[in-house]
Amino acid sequence: MQRRKIDLGYAASLLLSIALAFLIGALILAVSGHAPLNAYTEMVKGSLSNARHIGDTLEYAMVLCICGLACAVGSRAGIFNVGGEGQLLLGAVVAAQVGVAMEGSPKIVVIVCAALAAMAMGGAYAFVPGVLKVKLKVNEVITTIMLNTVAIYICQYLAKGPWRNSNPNIIAGTENLAQGYWLARPIAGSKLSSAIFASAVIAFLVWYIMQKTSVGYEMRLTGQNPRFARFAGLKTDTIVILAMLVSGAMCGAVGMFRVYGAEHIFKSSISNEYYFDGMMVAMITQYNPAGIILMSLFFAFLKIGAAGMEANAGVPNQIYLILQTVIIFFMAAQRGIAASVRAAAAKRTAQKEARARLAEGGARNG
Amino acid sequence: MDEILRHIFSAGTFNQMLRSATPVALAAMGGLLTEHAGIMNIGMDGMILMGAFIGVLGSYLCASAAMGVASAVLLGVAVGLFFALFVVKFKSDEFIIGCALNTFAAGLTAYLSRSIFGLSGTSGHDIAHLPTVHLDFLDAIPFFGEILNDNSFFIYLTWGLVALMWVFVYKTPCGFWIRAAGEKPETLRTAGISPERMKWIASILCGICCGLAGAHLSLGYLNGSFVEGMSNSRGYIAFACVIFGAANPAKAYIAALMFGFFDALGYRLQSYISSDLTSIIPYLITVVMMVYVVVRGQRKKTTLRTNTTAQKE
Repeated sequence: MQRRKIDLGYAASLLLSIALAFLIGALILAVSGHAPLNAYTEMVKGSLSNARHIGDTLEYAMVLCICGLACAVGSRAGIFNVGGEGQLLLGAVVAAQVGVAMEGSPKIVVIVCAALAAMAMGGAYAFVPGVLKVKLKVNEVITTIMLNTVAIYICQYLAKGPWRNSNPNIIAGTENLAQGYWLARPIAGSKLSSAIFASAVIAFLVWYIMQKTSVGYEMRLTGQNPRFARFAGLKTDTIVILAMLVSGAMCGAVGMFRVYGAEHIFKSSISNEYYFDGMMVAMITQYNPAGIILMSLFFAFLKIGAAGMEANAGVPNQIYLILQTVIIFFMAAQRGIAASVRAAAAKRTAQKEARARLAEGGARNG
Repeated sequence: MDEILRHIFSAGTFNQMLRSATPVALAAMGGLLTEHAGIMNIGMDGMILMGAFIGVLGSYLCASAAMGVASAVLLGVAVGLFFALFVVKFKSDEFIIGCALNTFAAGLTAYLSRSIFGLSGTSGHDIAHLPTVHLDFLDAIPFFGEILNDNSFFIYLTWGLVALMWVFVYKTPCGFWIRAAGEKPETLRTAGISPERMKWIASILCGICCGLAGAHLSLGYLNGSFVEGMSNSRGYIAFACVIFGAANPAKAYIAALMFGFFDALGYRLQSYISSDLTSIIPYLITVVMMVYVVVRGQRKKTTLRTNTTAQKE
C-alpha cells in the first residue's frame, strides 16, 4: 500500500514535470518566433501519423530502452556507466566488419557471430573502467567519458582507414553489409527491424533478473551499501565488474542492432549520443526497469517527432533536448521542491500562529 | 627522426600547449572551488558551452568582443545560480543535474545558434574576436619569446587568475570557509557560517570561470566562431585536472598544461599519422592521469602506514 502511494505521487510529479517542460518549450518557441501549437502538432504528426513514423519511433524507443537498461544495470550495482556511447559505437563497427569479413557464410551464423562480437567488444570496453573503479577506486564517470571520445576517434579511424568503404563517395564508413544479412523489416520504409524482438527479450530478462531474482537483490544491496554487502558475504567487486560487463555488452548489442537493422553500414549516424538519451531515461525513472521501458517510448516520441517538426515547421530539432532536460531537472528536484514548499508553508503557519498568540497576549495585557 | 623531433619540440608546439591549456585551466579554476565546497561538478562542460555561445552572441549583437566576454560572465553567474538552486537548495543528485545541464546546454546552444545564425552557424557572420597581445621586449628572447608572445589576452589573464585563486583559496577567510563547507560542514555551521551559502558562492564563481573559459574558446581560441558541441569534453578534462591537482590552483594549472602539451603533440603528429589517432592522445592521457593520481595517493597512504608501524616497533 505504502509503495503504491509513493508510485502515485511519483507519477503525478512526472506528469506535472512533462506539462511544465512543454510549457517552457512553448515559451522558448514563441520567443524564437515559432508558433508553439503548430510546432507541437507537427511533433505529434512527425512521430505518430503513419505506420512508417510509428516504426521509426519504436526503433528509437528500442535503442533508448536497451541503453537505459544498460545504464540501470550499472547504477543499481553502484557504478555509473557513462561510456555506453563508446561501447555502442565499437560494438557497431566490429559487428559491421564481421558481416563484411564473413560474407558468403549463412545468415544465421553471421548474425550470431556479429552479435557475439559486438557484445564482447562492448563488454571488454566497459570492463576497463569497471576494473579501475573496483581495484583502484578511479572515478568511473571521468574514465568512461574520456573513453567515449577515444572510441569515437578509433571508429572514425577504422571507417576512414583500414575498414573503409570501397566507394570513394562514402568518406567515413565501412563496407556495405550484403543484403542477405539485413534483419527483416516488419514495416516497409521504416527503420524498425526484427531486432525489436531481441530487444524485448533482453528487456524482459533484465527486468526479471533485477526485480525478481536474488542476483538482482545482491546487485541492489551492493549499490546501496557496499560495506554492508561485503560484511554479508557478497563478492561486491565481482558483482560490480559483472554489472559493468553486462552493461557494456548490452550497449554493444544495440550497436549491432543499429548496423544490421537500420543502417546496414557503419558510419557516424549509427549513434548520435543515443546512449546519453537512454541514460537520461534511466535517470528520470530512478533506474526502474519497467519505468525505463515506458519512458523510452515517450522520449522516442519526442525525438522522432522533433525531426518531423524540423522538416514541416522549420523548428530546429534540438528543442527536444531542451524538453527532455527540463523534465529531468524537475524530476531530480521534485523532493527538494516539495520540501521547500512544505517548509515555506510551515513557516507561514508558524508565523500566523505566533502572530495570533502575540495578539492574544496583547489583548490579555491590555 | 631528428627532424621529426625538432618539429615536435618546436616553439610552436609549446605555444599551442599554452593555447590548448587555457580554456581547460580557466574552467578548472572554477571546478576546484566547487570541489573544495564538496560538490561533484560534472556540469562544467555545459557551462563552458553556454559561455562560448553567449560570448559569440554578445559580441555579435554589440559588435564588441569585450561585451561578449561580459555577457559570458553574466551568463556564468546565472548558470552558477541555477546549478546551486538545484544542487544546494533542492538537494538534487549533483551527478544527474550535471549530466542534464550538459545535455541542456548542447540542446539550447544548438537551437539558438540555428535560430539566430541559421543552419550554417556563425561561419558567414563577422564577429568581433579578442585581440592578441604583442610585447616588443619578448622579441629579443629567442625560444621563449616565441612561445609567450602574440597570444590571446586570456592566456595572461589565466596566470593572474591562478595566482589570485591560490590566494583566495588558501589565504582568505572566504576561501577557508569554502574548504570547510566541503570538509567539515557541521563545524562550519557551529562557527556560525552557513555551508550552504559557501556552496552557493563556489557555484557562482565556478559558473563565472566556466563562462570565461567558454568566451575564450569561441572568441579567442577560435577567433569569433561558435561550433555546436565545441566544448568537446573540455569540462570533463577540467574536472580531471581538478582531481589530479588535488583542487590546488597551481597543480590544476600544471595538469591543464600537461593536457595542452599532449593536445599540441597530437596536432604535430598529424603530419605523420592519422589525425583520428592523434586526437585520442589527450583523452587517453587524462585516463592515465586519473589512474596515476589514485595510485600515488594509495602509495602515500601505505608508506605512511608502514612508517607509523615502524615507529611503534
